[in-house]
Amino acid sequence: MKYNTRHILNKIFTVVTAASVALMIVILIAVLGPMIWRGSSAVFFKSTVEFRKMQLDLHRRGDKTEIDDEISQSEVYRDFIYHKIDAFKKGINTDYYTDRVKKIYRQFSKELQYNGIKGDELSRRRKFARGIRRDMEKAFRSLNKAEILQIIDNINKFKGDERIANTKAVEFFALADEYRKTIKNFDLSKRQQYAQALEEVESLVKQLLGPRSNEPLPAMIMDRYGATRLDLANELLGKIIWKRQWVQQSSGKPMIEEKICRSTQFAGTELEDLFPYIEENFDKITIPRFTFYWQYFIDDSTSGHYFGGVGPEILGTLILTVLAMVFVFPLGVISAAYLVECASENMVLRIIRMCINTLAGVPSIVFGLFGLAFFVLVFIPFFGGPSKPCILAASLTLAVLTLPVMIRASEEAIRSVPKTYKEASLGLGASQFRTFVKVTLPAALPGILTGVILSLSRVAGETAPILFTGACAFGSVPKSLFSQTRTLSYGSYDIAVGDKIGMLVPHNQYGMVVTLVLLIICLNAIAIFFRAKIFRRLKGH
Amino acid sequence: MKRIIVCGLIMLILVLATGAIAAEKQTLQIVGSTTVGPIADAFAETFNNKYPNLDITIKKTGSGDGAAALLDGRCDIAIMSRFMKDKEFKNAVSKGIFPVPHVVAMDGVCVVVHPSNPVKELTSDQVRDIYMGKITNWKQVGGADLKIVIISRDTSSGTYETFHKLLMKKKEMVKTVEYVNSNPQAHARVKTTKGAIGYIGIGFLDANVKALKLDGVMPSRETIASGTFPLARPLFMFTNGYPKLGSMTHKFCSFYLSEMGQEIVEAKGFVPVTNY
Amino acid sequence: MENTITNRETEPVADPSGLSLVLTPLEDLTGFLLHHLGRLLLLLITSSSVIAVFLIFFFVIRESMPFLKEHDMVEFLTSKQWYPEADTPKFGALSMIVGSAYVTVASLIFAVPVGILAAVFLSDIVSFRIRELVKPVIEILAAIPSVAYGFFAVLVLAPWLQNKFGFTTGTNALNASIVLSIMALPTIISVAEDSISTVGRELREASYGLGATRFETIFKVVLPTAHSGIIAAVILGMMRAIGETMVVWMASGNAAQIPTPWWDLSQSVRTMTASIAGEMGETVKGSDHYYSLFATGVLLLVLIFALNIISEYFLVSAKKKLGKI
Repeated sequence: MKYNTRHILNKIFTVVTAASVALMIVILIAVLGPMIWRGSSAVFFKSTVEFRKMQLDLHRRGDKTEIDDEISQSEVYRDFIYHKIDAFKKGINTDYYTDRVKKIYRQFSKELQYNGIKGDELSRRRKFARGIRRDMEKAFRSLNKAEILQIIDNINKFKGDERIANTKAVEFFALADEYRKTIKNFDLSKRQQYAQALEEVESLVKQLLGPRSNEPLPAMIMDRYGATRLDLANELLGKIIWKRQWVQQSSGKPMIEEKICRSTQFAGTELEDLFPYIEENFDKITIPRFTFYWQYFIDDSTSGHYFGGVGPEILGTLILTVLAMVFVFPLGVISAAYLVECASENMVLRIIRMCINTLAGVPSIVFGLFGLAFFVLVFIPFFGGPSKPCILAASLTLAVLTLPVMIRASEEAIRSVPKTYKEASLGLGASQFRTFVKVTLPAALPGILTGVILSLSRVAGETAPILFTGACAFGSVPKSLFSQTRTLSYGSYDIAVGDKIGMLVPHNQYGMVVTLVLLIICLNAIAIFFRAKIFRRLKGH
Repeated sequence: MKRIIVCGLIMLILVLATGAIAAEKQTLQIVGSTTVGPIADAFAETFNNKYPNLDITIKKTGSGDGAAALLDGRCDIAIMSRFMKDKEFKNAVSKGIFPVPHVVAMDGVCVVVHPSNPVKELTSDQVRDIYMGKITNWKQVGGADLKIVIISRDTSSGTYETFHKLLMKKKEMVKTVEYVNSNPQAHARVKTTKGAIGYIGIGFLDANVKALKLDGVMPSRETIASGTFPLARPLFMFTNGYPKLGSMTHKFCSFYLSEMGQEIVEAKGFVPVTNY
Repeated sequence: MENTITNRETEPVADPSGLSLVLTPLEDLTGFLLHHLGRLLLLLITSSSVIAVFLIFFFVIRESMPFLKEHDMVEFLTSKQWYPEADTPKFGALSMIVGSAYVTVASLIFAVPVGILAAVFLSDIVSFRIRELVKPVIEILAAIPSVAYGFFAVLVLAPWLQNKFGFTTGTNALNASIVLSIMALPTIISVAEDSISTVGRELREASYGLGATRFETIFKVVLPTAHSGIIAAVILGMMRAIGETMVVWMASGNAAQIPTPWWDLSQSVRTMTASIAGEMGETVKGSDHYYSLFATGVLLLVLIFALNIISEYFLVSAKKKLGKI
């Protein structure tokens, strides 16, 4: 081959190898970049007044007077919105009346039972009241004004009937009158036109602002507050102002998405100017403020990780990782020492080595099943522990999982200690054991710590082995080695597959994964720090 | 320095180990389905607020593992999206365990398509033909000229089982079906793919996917509760025998009957069993 | 350590009157016993991994026994029909076996060249300082938890593939292969780099001295000499790829099919590990389906064991060859 071609080949080769390393760096950025970018929004974001309200309620954080002040400021604008909606809602949405009727009826029957009315008398009077309730519900549903008025007139005939006299049920009549007044000047055809659209707007407004102060508190914490983050609030604002709709252009073609402004949808009604109003005063309603939510790393979360942070998950991951390390470190180092120092190349050694390699290839899910069958159901009960999944079982399983990594790295490290060290020590008359502990091991420690780093990250990130042995999706902070714990790895998997909430809080989903990555990098940094320190000390001697 | 770390580790372990003896807390362990999981999560949230001394753990590993855990004595309540199979019952009884079902909610499985799809309604037969590979283009059912991408839940999930049993009549699906392993993933796949058809739990319906009428019935709270919608299923909690009245297990298993329980079930996107 | 006349300094010198170099019979015996007991103890601890492997094998085989006894193994290995929950269940794992092989091989096609080239770059081309800068990248790549890779596959890679290349689905064999190759890269690089740097300086200098370029030195001298270690690196990377569970479960699409045409990476496949992980939680414990999943596990373990034997064979033969030279 010509000299030139050889040289060009050589150059190309150098470039290609450099490119492969560059590719790796690109991959690293591609994997971590988007994740960290999105995950950081779990901690750095613009919060609304709802967020500060939640922090005050749940964690007693922030200045109460200041937050109350903010709430009352935003309340002014909110009241206007509520007022508008309520004014328009009358006559269109009769759920309110239906609920009232239901409630009156229930109170009535409770009252009867309380007064000791029993048997036929009870059922007779209840049946009568139920008849009124049905009629009224029919009136609320009806779109025919004449029919409604007739029903109400019919009901009013029963005023003073002995079966319901002096009970709660007299409220039926007041309600009927109220309803009559409402629909008096109301065009019932509007109901058909706007009922669904109004319901949509109302639910969006509720998502944005949270339940009204006079409403009963919802059962779940996630429903007690409106949009806590500005990005979510903005998204909701978009949905409130623009209605998205899929429209058929021509048959046999896919439909096309269209945006309709809601103020044109509600043109000519009281709601028309509500939407520009919300848009204009959006800042005053939400009062956005930049927040550094560092408590994300210590807070507990509400169900489904809707609000709150990843405190228990971090703790659980740390406990599992550290415990697994405590188990695997001596085991790995001793095994490596034996393989290097004591064993000669024979069948036994080869079998051991083959087993270690096989262990490295066993799928993690098989480790999980093995951990359940062996550690949970046999090993721990054998020593008198409970036969339930627990931290101990999970960390033992993880220790077995990471044993080959540990052994291989330690072996490599011990092997790379120069023979001269050992020979000098042995020559001075130290025993083999003493030589190993005092000379070889310290010299090999930096390398062994590399092994620790590798196993740490493997342990902290695994989901499958702890799925059946000691992780749980919901649970309190672990109290003992025999309780279960939440972990970051299982938590992020759980958000991804379990609940519809996961789709609503992508920042928490990413936040958890990024926390896991950061935690591992921190643990690595600690190990690297120690490695460097030991390395320096060794050099110094 | 090293000693400090070692001491710290030992202390940590000791503290953890002794913690078991120090705090005698009431525990409630729940294992099972990922579908019922969110309901259990939300119930547990309210229970934790109500009874601070109660320690609830929930693990979502699947209905089958829930049943196995109840048999092994690994849990107090098994949450399941299907009823126990014959074999599980037999094994349980032979172990002296008597599984008692509590129906906590109803779930509907909705057939969904991309919102741009003009098709509004399909019959069960058409859906079956699509999943068996007999219909491959939306044109054949009155839609646009577009290849159908079939999304299914993985064959082990309860959602698949409901769909497979009630709609597919246990016929085998075509090979090209793409399997996803969760409701959110099925939702995401349909949302992002123009020609997709899939099925998800009713709680996951939103504006990004379009639910189809099935045999002329729109999936909704009413049609599922009344049983008019063909793809509805109950969700269960199983306990070993009927729990002792007044015990935490009993309170937890009957919480769905309370007004608050109903509200939670509904907020989580399922259909409450009773209508308050 | 002054009194190290006998080679057991822990033993105080028994007789101060005479510094006898001859051990008493008792000393000899205890020394012998201690030495061998110590070795035995160490051997026991070391064999903990052997015990673990045997326990895993024992347990998995025990759980799969009912299936192995009752069903036709030929059908299990050659049929493509996997309908474990049907009325007449069919257990044909071929599409899963092919899926595993498919994803693994595809990931290696990408990971092996890149890994080896990067290893060469780190060991032979750049200075020590740059190497120390690049190494953390590999370490971080190895440290990223598998859950994070799973998320990357589903939330970033899948939509990108779908929009960029117009695939019908973004969660497919290609997606799984890419992510698996990223995960296998650090293993391949670190093991390969180790074996490349153990190739002696003398060999390289001799080659340069004869006027060979770096390219020629590496390809004709260094890599052939280090080939055993490189094969071991590839096999280790391969085992990582075969054994990976959750990522594949999230990224591969899980359709139990063999892609047609066979090279079409844009179709969904399902691997053995994904099958076990996905179906284990839901299936009825003690049913045929349950046992068949364990049978799949046995298959995987056997496969991994066989791979190990192969790599062991390569390493031994390489050693012998080098020994003869």
